[in-house]
Amino acid sequence: MRVGLVCPYPWDVPGGVMAHIRDLAEALIELGHDVSVLAPVDDDEQPLPAYVVPAGRTVPVRYNGSVARLVFGPMSARRARRWLREGHFDVLHLHSPEALSLSQMTLLQASGPIVATFHAANPRSRVLSALSPALQPQLEKIQGRIAVSLAARKTVVEHVGGDAIVIPNGVHVAAYAGGTALAGWPGSGGAIGFLGRIDEPRKGIAVLLDAFGRLAPDRPGLRLLVAGPGNVDEVREQVAAGLRDRVVLLGRVSEEDKVRFFQSVDIYVAPNTGGESFGIVLLEAMAARTPVVASDLDAFRSVLDDGRVGRQFPVGDAAALAGVLADLLDDPRQRSALVAAGAELVSAYDWSAVACSVEQVYEAVRLVAAQQPPEPVPLIRPTADG
Amino acid sequence: MLVVVAVVAAVVVIATYLTWLAGRLDRLHARTDGARASLDAQLVRRAAAAAAVAEYAARRDLLPKRDARALGTAARAASTAGAGEREPAENDLSRALHTAVAGLPGRDGHLSGPDGHLPGPDGHLPDADDDLRPLLDDLAIAASRIVLARRFYNDAVRDTTAVHERRLVRWLRLAGHAPAGSFFEIDDTPPEALAGFPSAQPR
Repeated sequence: MRVGLVCPYPWDVPGGVMAHIRDLAEALIELGHDVSVLAPVDDDEQPLPAYVVPAGRTVPVRYNGSVARLVFGPMSARRARRWLREGHFDVLHLHSPEALSLSQMTLLQASGPIVATFHAANPRSRVLSALSPALQPQLEKIQGRIAVSLAARKTVVEHVGGDAIVIPNGVHVAAYAGGTALAGWPGSGGAIGFLGRIDEPRKGIAVLLDAFGRLAPDRPGLRLLVAGPGNVDEVREQVAAGLRDRVVLLGRVSEEDKVRFFQSVDIYVAPNTGGESFGIVLLEAMAARTPVVASDLDAFRSVLDDGRVGRQFPVGDAAALAGVLADLLDDPRQRSALVAAGAELVSAYDWSAVACSVEQVYEAVRLVAAQQPPEPVPLIRPTADG
Repeated sequence: MLVVVAVVAAVVVIATYLTWLAGRLDRLHARTDGARASLDAQLVRRAAAAAAVAEYAARRDLLPKRDARALGTAARAASTAGAGEREPAENDLSRALHTAVAGLPGRDGHLSGPDGHLPGPDGHLPDADDDLRPLLDDLAIAASRIVLARRFYNDAVRDTTAVHERRLVRWLRLAGHAPAGSFFEIDDTPPEALAGFPSAQPR
């Protein structure tokens, strides 16, 4: 199948949506599809993957204190038109079409089988809501809608109208299975890991430090490995003086080092106290074959199948967390049972599986388009320029 | 003179807008029709697959007679139902499928495994016998496609209805006699015991 994907944000600026489109494109190519991605590109010097077609530079637009990089102008519109005409796509797949972006610009000129994925989990800005009557006729051309999470689906239902099929983000299972542990880790005394912003209270580092303080005196070899951006010194001060050399703070880590981080610990802990909508990091830990302990937030409970593939403890309860950790540290059999259950679960979230679900949406939408009565001949034929 | 120009300009603008609005409605009707036709196609496919499973199960004595007969009857009723009875008939078929599929014998005498756990994602599961397997594959494909087709149809109906309800569209009867379509509401959750099917992704 010939698939045309449209990325609304610059290809050379790392971001969640861009990474999603890259991974999806590569998984679809792996499945044997012919894929082309139309994306804004700011830096002409950067080498691009063969499947990316540049649509021009973006213009920074200041709005509400943040800067959005958007594509405007006749040149981008012409490139989008030519890409559509020369692509002969069996299905066009836009991302985040609710915002003014390259996706909207392409949608304006497109017809035929169209799928769109909605990524935003928060309600649209007021400016975009005000524009919505103008965008609605365009959004009506989309025959199949996908949301990346239940939260994103809620946004579609409440702010765009209609419904969406939920297909979650994927995980590169194979990428997490490789990687070597950091030198000297996990060691024989046991190692516990934390990953996430250390200056964001809802990530729950304080709960884990409290639990570590309860376990450490009785377990002289036990160590804590902390990865994530934030003020390292502030966290170090929260640790009792005698334990400071057993808490290692890595700061911000690269994607590669994230894989190594998981390989370096015996147990990964997600002590979050709120604000999580899905918990993809738990899946990454499972892909790395690291046992998971997590607070019992709803999002985590549903990923962990109510404790079957990872141990859980009441949100914010450091004593309970210490109990669960002690139990797991002393029981390698239980740890390997969790690893096996996690590996089985995460395979359903591998990009190859996610791409298959997306492929089914493509098939469904192509069927809708194929059954549509032919379009009446327009009174005024559009000129074939560009 | 100026007045004439203004009136002509206004008429042109209004006519252009109405033409565009009528075209938009046309597109929406086409989308709804296409979505409905593809939903119907999947429903027909599911009914046919269910009838085949019922017939095979009855012939091989794989199901209690009552369940096999109920499935066959529900499949026939769904494929012959008139417009008004379609939803209840499809719902009955969903229910009959849940009961029947869960009762089919697999490797351990049960499709969903002895401990009630769903089969692994690798789709290894029931040694449903070699003749039954393709029938169940077909059933599973139809069941999962109905979920998508129904969602996309209801979305199309919703978008079309929103434009239909505009005052201008109603006053000027821009939609003509074409109905906006009505939502199709059934329980389309595929039977849990079919989670391991189709055994291989159709290419």
